[in-house]
Amino acid sequence: MRPQDAPHEIEDVWRLLADRQLELDTRVEIFVLCRTKGRLIACGGLDRKVIKCVAVAPEYSGQSLSLRLGSELIALAAARGQFHLFLYSAPYNRELFQGWGFYPLVEVPRLVLLMENSPVAIQTYCDSLRSKRRAGNPIGCAVLNANPFTLGHRFLLERAAAQCEWMHVFVVQEDASTFSYSERFALVAQGIQGIRRLTLHEGSDYIISRATFPGYFLKDKVVVDHSWAGIDLLLFREHIAPALGITHRFVGTEPLDTITSNYNVDMRNWLRDAPSGAPAISVVEVPRASINGRPISASAVRKLLAEGDFDAIQRLVPPGTLKFLQTKYAAALAAGGVERA
Amino acid sequence: MKITKPAIAGTLESSDLMVKVTPNQNGMLEVVVRSEVIKQFGKQIRRVIDDTLSKLEVSEGTVVVEDKGALDYAIQARVQAAVLRGAGSEKLNWEQLS
Repeated sequence: MRPQDAPHEIEDVWRLLADRQLELDTRVEIFVLCRTKGRLIACGGLDRKVIKCVAVAPEYSGQSLSLRLGSELIALAAARGQFHLFLYSAPYNRELFQGWGFYPLVEVPRLVLLMENSPVAIQTYCDSLRSKRRAGNPIGCAVLNANPFTLGHRFLLERAAAQCEWMHVFVVQEDASTFSYSERFALVAQGIQGIRRLTLHEGSDYIISRATFPGYFLKDKVVVDHSWAGIDLLLFREHIAPALGITHRFVGTEPLDTITSNYNVDMRNWLRDAPSGAPAISVVEVPRASINGRPISASAVRKLLAEGDFDAIQRLVPPGTLKFLQTKYAAALAAGGVERA
Repeated sequence: MKITKPAIAGTLESSDLMVKVTPNQNGMLEVVVRSEVIKQFGKQIRRVIDDTLSKLEVSEGTVVVEDKGALDYAIQARVQAAVLRGAGSEKLNWEQLS
């Protein structure tokens, strides 16, 4: 059942979720519903490769209905071309979802557990990273959304590369930004030219975008942000960093955006201070590059783009990004409208 | 035969099993089995899976089995189905598989 096709059914889903102290996640594309004599007794949703909003009515919460639901969700995902699946759950549901063939990846204690439906996928991914490992110390890393790539990113990477024997750069893969992943990746690839001792990596399912992290079972926005940061950063610390031998994580200071600013604080906690089986990683905050006293940021560029102010944009982005934006903007004008960022 | 695309077969329900196959990046055959009855019947389950894969001449792929206490012929049928889906449209000698 697609939410948009069945408003009356969504009301039932909403009620069943509420009974289990869950909220409806608005990104769910399709639901599997289980009814008996018309009454909704179990549901589960898919948001691309993530299973969400799983609930079973209390009087049916024996194992067998849940396994039927899990089978249907996995088969539906496969029919939609998604075989590598993830789910976020409260840690006390670990065993239930292990019965679905999911394996724990990383946990923020007492709050959230991330699982995937393969016992080998993360290992395979880390093995492929290991083949790109470089000797040396320090080994740095930066993760960019680059929406789009600016002179600020360039400045950060130059400063980081100067302090490290090798730099690894990742681009967030999930398409929840103004510009698509392939556009953002191409701009980064252009923008880093000339910086030595640097490897640009494709994004992966293991670098989690805030935009796709579900918060429906955590209620409070502060807790959601904290949990997302914990999942994303612990995955980095426990899997990605050891595979590449990363010792330092570089990040720009964030004077404009409070979510990102809190993330930088969380970074020190999860990468360095929090208890973990993996070694601590140093966090290096690089002061943001400014022009005329105003920090350069991708959000400022998007705002200027919406205003069509290319004179101002020109001062904030490298030539490759400028050319891309001009082309895209011209195409949007020709199509009769400019996308408001 | 090689697994060239991801595929699944089966369910998670009691007495059944779910088989997931994916291409293997290192060109190897990797088999992972999880079963609710691994302590009693792990060896036997593993033997049925390995026999089925070798009769199908599967040389490359990752095969993950979530077993819920299925009988041998169910295991055989689910493994065959997942492999055939994951290997595309290759011709099969059914008699050889029995």
